[in-house]
Amino acid sequence: MVTDRAEEGPAVERRRQVVTAGGARSVPGPMKVVRRPPRASHDWHPLAGQAILERLRVTGRPRLKSDPDLQVRLRGSLERGLLGHDRDAGHDAPVAGSGAAPPSPSSPVVVVTKDRLTGVLACEAHHVAGEFGDRPPTPAMACGALVDVLFRQLIAVGSIDDPMADGMAALGVDDRQQDLVSWIVGMAPAEREALRAEVERQAGALIRHWPALEPAWLPRTQESMRVGLARGAVELSARVDLAIGRPAEDEASVALVEIKAGARRVEHRADLHFYALVETLRSPAPPFVVATYYTRTGELDVDPVTEELLVGAVRRTIVGTRSLWSLAHGSIPRRTPNSLCGRCTLLPECEPGQARVERSEAAWARGPEDGG
Amino acid sequence: MRPGQLTRALSAPPTCSVDDACRAHLRDRLSSGLAPLVERLPRRQRLVVNLSDLRRARERPDSPSRQQEPFAWKPVFVRRSLGLAVVDACAVGRFRSPAEAVGPVASEAVAEWERTGWRAFHWEPWFAGLHRGARALVLSEAVTWATSLWASFDWAAFNERPRVGGGDDQWVCPDAGALILKGRSELRVPLAATGPDGAAGPVALACVAGGRPSDEWAAELAYPALVAALRSPTRPVPARVAGLWPDAGIHLVVDIDGEVLASAVDRVVATVHVMVEARRLLAQPA
Repeated sequence: MVTDRAEEGPAVERRRQVVTAGGARSVPGPMKVVRRPPRASHDWHPLAGQAILERLRVTGRPRLKSDPDLQVRLRGSLERGLLGHDRDAGHDAPVAGSGAAPPSPSSPVVVVTKDRLTGVLACEAHHVAGEFGDRPPTPAMACGALVDVLFRQLIAVGSIDDPMADGMAALGVDDRQQDLVSWIVGMAPAEREALRAEVERQAGALIRHWPALEPAWLPRTQESMRVGLARGAVELSARVDLAIGRPAEDEASVALVEIKAGARRVEHRADLHFYALVETLRSPAPPFVVATYYTRTGELDVDPVTEELLVGAVRRTIVGTRSLWSLAHGSIPRRTPNSLCGRCTLLPECEPGQARVERSEAAWARGPEDGG
Repeated sequence: MRPGQLTRALSAPPTCSVDDACRAHLRDRLSSGLAPLVERLPRRQRLVVNLSDLRRARERPDSPSRQQEPFAWKPVFVRRSLGLAVVDACAVGRFRSPAEAVGPVASEAVAEWERTGWRAFHWEPWFAGLHRGARALVLSEAVTWATSLWASFDWAAFNERPRVGGGDDQWVCPDAGALILKGRSELRVPLAATGPDGAAGPVALACVAGGRPSDEWAAELAYPALVAALRSPTRPVPARVAGLWPDAGIHLVVDIDGEVLASAVDRVVATVHVMVEARRLLAQPA
């Protein structure tokens, strides 16, 4: 839950208050100023060093054991959900209810990633529009890419000298990032300076807060995970920013951490659950914890991995994969108005989206007193 | 398969062997299948076939006909060779884990090249010239790659320390000199120190691959054993090959016998057919 408040005192800084299960805390950000009564200072500070490790390690829940039955059940649920019997077609449909043809050697594999899953579940039309062509770079995208490589550098060599120079050099040897590098180089000086300032701020916070990891914990960055389903017609694919812990044998022993340079969003939690599911399906035991670390604020969202979490991830993955399968086989994308409509490239031609945006704007104009 | 299970499965005594007659038959079958195909290669062209080509020719038959980009060093090209050096340094007990080993191993390689001019890994000058941030990315890639190999085995359980990396096996087809088969493995595990007459015993191989195994994984894993058998007719054929697909968490082991080697021969012939036709297509005037 996010509420707004104003700070007291001469060094007034606008902050937003973030309330989580762990209590209330304030974080910097441009927010509407609301008066609040004077209170004793109890500003929230981001976790640092050993406290981050403890927060990851001690989740308050027992770690799952290696359980081949759990893996079989989860995979079975996914397979049944994706490879059910299609009554209309009279044969086993590769993805239940899709009405699409069964897989053949030439059928393209439907690759399911966290972004594709989140996109298609929000709105199929928005997802399809976003799939065509590369998204034009933005300052936020550039910041995210730079912070990602700086985080890898911090884990690998333990230090960052000049965040912007180090980050640009790292992106420069990654041929998938050449367009982004050119775009950053071509930014207007003022914008580029703003990007540099934000990257330096986030890198500085990372250096101050992020703990050194024992090499014996086998820290590895950008670990790729893949699981085939539905006779190979579907592939769940993930790439996790940081995995810590020797691969599981008898008990869950791996922590997965995702790094985000941008704002905290509710769908990030579902992304983590998807990672937990993919890791569970490919390893002898599930990860014991999945977490998102927000480099902008130092917030750390931690989810202990439980059977309920994994079952929820299975349900969401089935629903999203059915949509992705249908779209890959020619279905007309459905339009589902949602909070992304205002930023969708299809908005000028999307009536449900326009209606949604108009309703949101009207509610915003009425203000909170009118129930907006 | 857990590390202990995989280690035991790889280093167990051989369950089958390939005799000299079978080996000669496979060589003849391969040569006679390849010679007419290689004759169709555009003039003065050579063809090098490796395990990736076998996989690519089956999964994406059109890919060999695409124009190859000129070679340029990238972190993904360094991660295997640096990663293998890192795993070797861990296996001999110099370091506890890849994350600890990667920095010193890379620095030592560069220092050695600067001192002697000898490039043990080829990437040393490129790596030495990189900015610190780019070097860190290379090290990160190598750690992730090396950790997947390091964590797959119970290294203390090997009877004899495996050879990590090493040169590729190569075989030049005698009836088609323009064709070279290359076999590459990440580990060679000695299964017996010596044979009854003091000759070298068989080895088991381990190969790392990306993605997920295909339906024909056994024939693909037999390929490096086939090339090793062709290259050294006097050495025993590798007794088994383990395939590691770390992305998918899958480890598979195939015992090498005449049948699985024959399936590898068929895959090589099919692959060379695809590659030769692609070369002919590219050689045609636009």
